[in-house]
Amino acid sequence: MIEIKDLHKSYKMGSNSLHVLKGINFKVEEGELVAIMGSSGSGKSTLLNILGMLDGADSGEYTLDGVPIKNLSETKAAQYRNKFLGFIFQSFNLINYKSAVENVALPLYYQKVPRKERQEKAMQYLERVGLKPWADHLPSELSGGQKQRVAIARAMAAEPKVLLADEPTGALDSKTSYEVMDLIQKINDEGNTILVVTHEEDIAHMCKRIVHLKDGVIVEDKKVEQVRAEQYV
Amino acid sequence: MFDRDVWQEIFNTLKTNKLRTFLTGFSVGWAIFILVMLLASVNGMQNGFVGQFNDDATNSIFVRPGTTSKAYGGFEAGRRIQLKNDDLEYIKQSFPNDIEYISARYYANAIARYKEETGSYSVQATHPDHQAIEKTLVTAGRYINEADIINKAKVAVIGRKVAEDLFKNEDPLGKFVEFNGLPFRVIGIFTDDGDDNAERRIYAPVSTYQRIYGNTNEIASIALTYNPNYDLTEALDFSERLEILMKRRHKIAPEDQAGLNVWNYAEAFNNISSFTAVLKGIGIGVGFLILIAGIVGIGNIMVFTIKERTKEIGVRKALGARPRQIVNLVLLESVFITAISGFVGLLFAWMILAAIGPMIETPAFSNPSVSLSVVVTATIILIIAGVLAGLLPAMKAANVKPIVALSDK
Repeated sequence: MIEIKDLHKSYKMGSNSLHVLKGINFKVEEGELVAIMGSSGSGKSTLLNILGMLDGADSGEYTLDGVPIKNLSETKAAQYRNKFLGFIFQSFNLINYKSAVENVALPLYYQKVPRKERQEKAMQYLERVGLKPWADHLPSELSGGQKQRVAIARAMAAEPKVLLADEPTGALDSKTSYEVMDLIQKINDEGNTILVVTHEEDIAHMCKRIVHLKDGVIVEDKKVEQVRAEQYV
Repeated sequence: MFDRDVWQEIFNTLKTNKLRTFLTGFSVGWAIFILVMLLASVNGMQNGFVGQFNDDATNSIFVRPGTTSKAYGGFEAGRRIQLKNDDLEYIKQSFPNDIEYISARYYANAIARYKEETGSYSVQATHPDHQAIEKTLVTAGRYINEADIINKAKVAVIGRKVAEDLFKNEDPLGKFVEFNGLPFRVIGIFTDDGDDNAERRIYAPVSTYQRIYGNTNEIASIALTYNPNYDLTEALDFSERLEILMKRRHKIAPEDQAGLNVWNYAEAFNNISSFTAVLKGIGIGVGFLILIAGIVGIGNIMVFTIKERTKEIGVRKALGARPRQIVNLVLLESVFITAISGFVGLLFAWMILAAIGPMIETPAFSNPSVSLSVVVTATIILIIAGVLAGLLPAMKAANVKPIVALSDK
């Protein structure tokens, strides 16, 4: 599903440049649930941004579902993001003047799905995350866990190939964190490919594979016994 | 571009920022209001000027004799020029195709008496054509006709005020009124749009007055109207030919303005037209400058809005919004604010003008109003203004890097 070869990325910080990713080689098969771990500054978010086409790599190859991702125009990148990727952010990033269902419907809007169909589909996904009764609530009327569930529903609404979660539990207490992870595990059980960036060990162990990043290189890449989040809920 | 979702988003952003939207819109609405009011004021001045001239036919020319200021053709300066009946005939025959109406004028004053009532009025002795030249409206009876001229009839057409003063409630038609002791029969009553003073005037046949005052053939001045199909250049050309001819006939130096004056309304009209055109230009210029301030205001607020919504735009881009969709969103919002507030300003100005415009009726300023074309132009300007105001912010928004917008750590 995802294939990365010798990926390099550096940022210019004034006169000196900061080499963040120093040759990443990495492969994700369909249906995997991968945790990307590392301390801050290890380059894990940069990697996720490049995977999410939010940022470009300096060198290296990136293939997503057989499509080479290189030198994309803004418009093309937007199209690919819409078609291939679903994002889950630490701070949810819901649009605060739109109700839950409108937020979920937004990626479908950019897919030019007709309004009525959009609404129905968004409702379906809200139901899957257990928030159908909150469909018409604004984000400000929802709890943190509920917001993240809306965000997950939104990320899934466009039926992307890969879900990218950047510290999805970073802003939540442990109980809601486990609820969210439970949801992510269930989505993965259905065969969706998911990448989770986290720095929490327990969250990482709820994935099936952990990739450890340190100073811009992968230092460890291991399959783990998945801890089901369900038991903590 | 015009689907429901885009509008929903625009309304949402406007709704969440009511005060800001209002303040922004106000500057543009105010600018349009001022622009329309300025144009209407210029229009009002124009109406006022035209109204002043409307009293007389706008294609009239007056030939007035004076005293020469230059020695010419063997005559010394300071010679008084006197027009005579021959001059009238001469002009008539010289310009058969140029002249529409022509009449002599002979001025006199009369102490008029009817029964116990007396009053002093000015008398203009004229030809029948004078009615058309002066646009005299005869409300009762008739104006002077050819027969009166030939018969040197002692008849008079009196102004409405004269009739009121002398006859009170009586019907003046057919009654005899004494002018300086001579009985004249009232054959008509007229009104005048110009002013009340014009209605204190009396018209009489020119031949009658020439006989009364010493059996003369002298006339004070000649009034005429030219072919109404003439445009300005043709009209000016004609009055110039007329002036040259008359000066030659009376042996006046061609450049001597005091000896003979040919006064053409077209010329005065031309001056006023260019005067009001300049005023209009100034009005539009000032209005535009104010509008630019409004546009900058909207642009400013849009930049601010974009900055505030950077994160939202980042999210949208992450979700697959194309740059063009972002640009459209911002532009449409900008055009929407501009257009709506502009229309409110326009409507306000229009309502004020519709309410008080018709009541304003002074010599120099009357019925300020705007034409449909001004409204249409203003609308187009508004939409362009909205696009201009939104363009830079929209481009800025489209260039938002989602990664920068979303970095919240």
